[in-house]
Amino acid sequence: MVIGIQQLLDGLTVGMGYALIAAGLSVIFGVMYVINFAHGELYALGAYFALSVSAPIGGGAGFYVALLVAPLLVGVVGVAIERFTVRPLYDRNPLYHILLTFGLVLLINDLIIIGWGPQPQRLSRPDLISGTFEVAGATFSRYAFFIMLFGGGVTLAVWAALTYTRYGLIVRAGAQDRRMVRNLGIDIDRYYSLVFGVGAALAALAGVVLAGRSGVATGMGSDIIITAFVIVVLGGLGSFKGAVLGGLGLGVLQESIIRPGIPELNWLLVPRIFPQLEGMIIFVLMIIVLLVRPQGLFGSEFEEESGELLVGTDGGVLAPDLRYKLGLGMIGLLAVFPVLSGTLLPSSLVEGLLIRILYWGLFALALDFVMGYTGLVSLGHALFWGLGAYVSATILMNLTESAFVAAFVAVLVGAAVAWVVGYLSIRVHGVYFAMITLAFAELFHNSLTRIDRWAVGFCETTPVCSPEDLQGVQITGGSEGLFGISQYYGIGGVGVRLDEIGVFLGFFLTRRILNSPFGAVLKGIRENEERVRFLGYDPTVYKRRAFTISGAFATMAGVLFTLNSVGVSPAAADWFKSGEVIVIVILGGLGTLFGPIVGAFAFFGLEHLIQDNLLGPLQALFTVVLEPLGQEGLVPDFSSRWRLALGALFVLFVIYLPRGLISVPEKLAGYLPWEVSFGEPVGEDERGENR
Amino acid sequence: MSAGDARSDRDSDDSEAILRTDGLLKEFGNFAAIDDVSIAVEPGEFRSVIGPNGAGKTTLFNLISGALPVTEGTVTFQGEDITNLPPEQRIRRGMARSFQISNIFGGLTVRENVRLAAQALHREEYGLREALFRPTDRYDGINEDTDRILDRIGLAGVAEETAASLPYGDKRRLEIGVVLATEPELVLFDEPTAGMGPEETQNTIDLIEEVLVDQTLILVEHDIELVMDLSDRITVLHRGEVLSEGTPEEIAEDEAVRDAYLGGMT
Repeated sequence: MVIGIQQLLDGLTVGMGYALIAAGLSVIFGVMYVINFAHGELYALGAYFALSVSAPIGGGAGFYVALLVAPLLVGVVGVAIERFTVRPLYDRNPLYHILLTFGLVLLINDLIIIGWGPQPQRLSRPDLISGTFEVAGATFSRYAFFIMLFGGGVTLAVWAALTYTRYGLIVRAGAQDRRMVRNLGIDIDRYYSLVFGVGAALAALAGVVLAGRSGVATGMGSDIIITAFVIVVLGGLGSFKGAVLGGLGLGVLQESIIRPGIPELNWLLVPRIFPQLEGMIIFVLMIIVLLVRPQGLFGSEFEEESGELLVGTDGGVLAPDLRYKLGLGMIGLLAVFPVLSGTLLPSSLVEGLLIRILYWGLFALALDFVMGYTGLVSLGHALFWGLGAYVSATILMNLTESAFVAAFVAVLVGAAVAWVVGYLSIRVHGVYFAMITLAFAELFHNSLTRIDRWAVGFCETTPVCSPEDLQGVQITGGSEGLFGISQYYGIGGVGVRLDEIGVFLGFFLTRRILNSPFGAVLKGIRENEERVRFLGYDPTVYKRRAFTISGAFATMAGVLFTLNSVGVSPAAADWFKSGEVIVIVILGGLGTLFGPIVGAFAFFGLEHLIQDNLLGPLQALFTVVLEPLGQEGLVPDFSSRWRLALGALFVLFVIYLPRGLISVPEKLAGYLPWEVSFGEPVGEDERGENR
Repeated sequence: MSAGDARSDRDSDDSEAILRTDGLLKEFGNFAAIDDVSIAVEPGEFRSVIGPNGAGKTTLFNLISGALPVTEGTVTFQGEDITNLPPEQRIRRGMARSFQISNIFGGLTVRENVRLAAQALHREEYGLREALFRPTDRYDGINEDTDRILDRIGLAGVAEETAASLPYGDKRRLEIGVVLATEPELVLFDEPTAGMGPEETQNTIDLIEEVLVDQTLILVEHDIELVMDLSDRITVLHRGEVLSEGTPEEIAEDEAVRDAYLGGMT
């Protein structure tokens, strides 16, 4: 037999969990066009609530109660999230949903760590559904059957509700055309809360049943969210049936084909290759589906809605000359800081924080070049960061110690990869583009773990090219380097760093490019792609070139990261990084040159501020107050949970200051005693109409 | 059948037509929005396509300009079969089109709008390095073209304003300027005076006559009076088919046109 019964069972069990998560994610997208990155955290929240609910009751009953109560609680959380954070954003570009839900990921994840601690835990399950039973000589896990029956029942019930009830009809109609439903006199907004709540509850349910199988851990949300997106894409964005069948299919594929391999295909060397490629296959599958049939297996195409992803916020907030001066000032400030290192400023601050701001600023600028200027929302820019980090590290360790050579080669490689990825990705639009770039980045992220292994031969110590290996390499470039220039070199006695050169170059090159005929076409595409086409330009070609340039700059940022760190790990290409850089761009201001740099300042400045100057003292205060009362255990340790505050800040930010920090001067302009000239903000009206 | 014969007779006569469509068919599901439309437009001609709402005028434009794929039939432009070319390739061969709904770059200035169009003409003159890094205001040829067109459409005074801030009539003028800047052989105008008052309409028509006098024009209009004086020939579309075609005088006397047109309008 090609597939063993046991493996099929495992696959269906895991697949049922996937199906429950993906179904909610898909329906939330289908109905509200919200790309909910926080869905994984809601799933984790379900598992943790189950932990707290079942523990006091204990034993078997605890689990059953948790199975009912935890999803209800998370459902309420979901309704609250929709009501207070998502609802103000419905008439905005879906890009802001990414920022919002990413903020929620940070928030919920840190709340979980504060509430339940960082260590993995086990959820005990009742005897009735534990252990195994035998049929015809084969042993089966009772719990697997429980998951399949219970999960199957729930999905059938939800499906029936969507298909046969009046609520389901309205929700489905709303997914087709919400304005029409509204014109019929139905308050569709109320149904959105319901859909979000039910979606959250389904995710929580998956959390409980899968926790009973493999335990509870703080990272479980971010581990599963990407898989959930893969399923949603495979099944068809917005399709409930597609998500369920896709989830089951992927579970079976993973557990019963990819993992064990297929003995019958031995002659193809498949079993030896399959485990190596495990985890990568699903992303290849995702890319193929997006290219061949973007609407997925069961989805229907909604071309018009994907157009909504085009960027609405643009750079028209400040007058050009003011913008230019601000940008120059920003760059000048950055250039001065390292000089002050060790004198006016503590050198640790400069090295640790400001340098990081520099290369993240470049990374954000690179993303803004495609996102803010051509409307391509890339969810996979971590690919280029990781590429820059790894290619440069490999060169530095094996070939030369010249940082310049490493940077040069890495940027070439980055540009080439960006061209290929762009060539394949730009043929799909809007949210599909976001998804396909995500798939490429995750494909690379997954393959990095193998690259680490083949790099063993070079670094000779640990399986992973870890801090020690890179530390051993003197990154000077110095006299041995090809150009005789080290990373730190002097011009007139003033130290200049490669970081600054990189950011300077990035800033001035992008500025130059945007003022060129090429840049004019990019701006035209952002404004009105159809009209550009009817002037005789092929937008696809221009987008591809912009993506290539962006990829090259992002790769440079990754190189700078390597030069300033003690080691690289696959985390360099984690999807989380792609999310962070989007946050930085929007934080600063989309579609401007200095916005991303402002954003990097704000992001890491806030991190620094919150962690060192806010949470630490606050915790100390609690300790001082509570210790004499003998209640020091009352407040959990939150001193390192800066992401909680940051996440909360993003949520507020995206709701109240969507144009980013660069729009602050404009908002304050009325109160200033002197006159400031601002350009005319445009695009607001057009965005409103798309609702 | 006699109408079809007459048409094919004429087709063989003017083989130097700048634009021809042969047996053009466009189906949306089972509905034929354009059904067996064959027209031939001579160089320098001012052709109007009229018909009541829903007659398929804009669809015909979409087929000629490549915005929609053709179900059956061919489009020939300057002797070349362009039926399967994407829009940008047709534009590069000397076609231009305006849209029924104002279709300009709202966030860019008036000058940038025109320059983007003028720049398309000079695309081949510069290498990649120049196109990427040389600031737009240092291309003399493009800037001269831009200034000339801004003067001609009378928007030189507001060149630095964002296009979105212009009054409606000026937006349509800008759109004509954008079309003009690509120096087309053939211009497709989709109801350029839609939504304008009588005075603005007359100004726009005058402007089109004035600045585009050398080009071949195809104008879609549902106001039959407006095009009577201007057109060399008029094609009347009705329910996706060519009801009649001829000089304005012939059309004015055509009973079938009068019945169908007035019937369709009321």
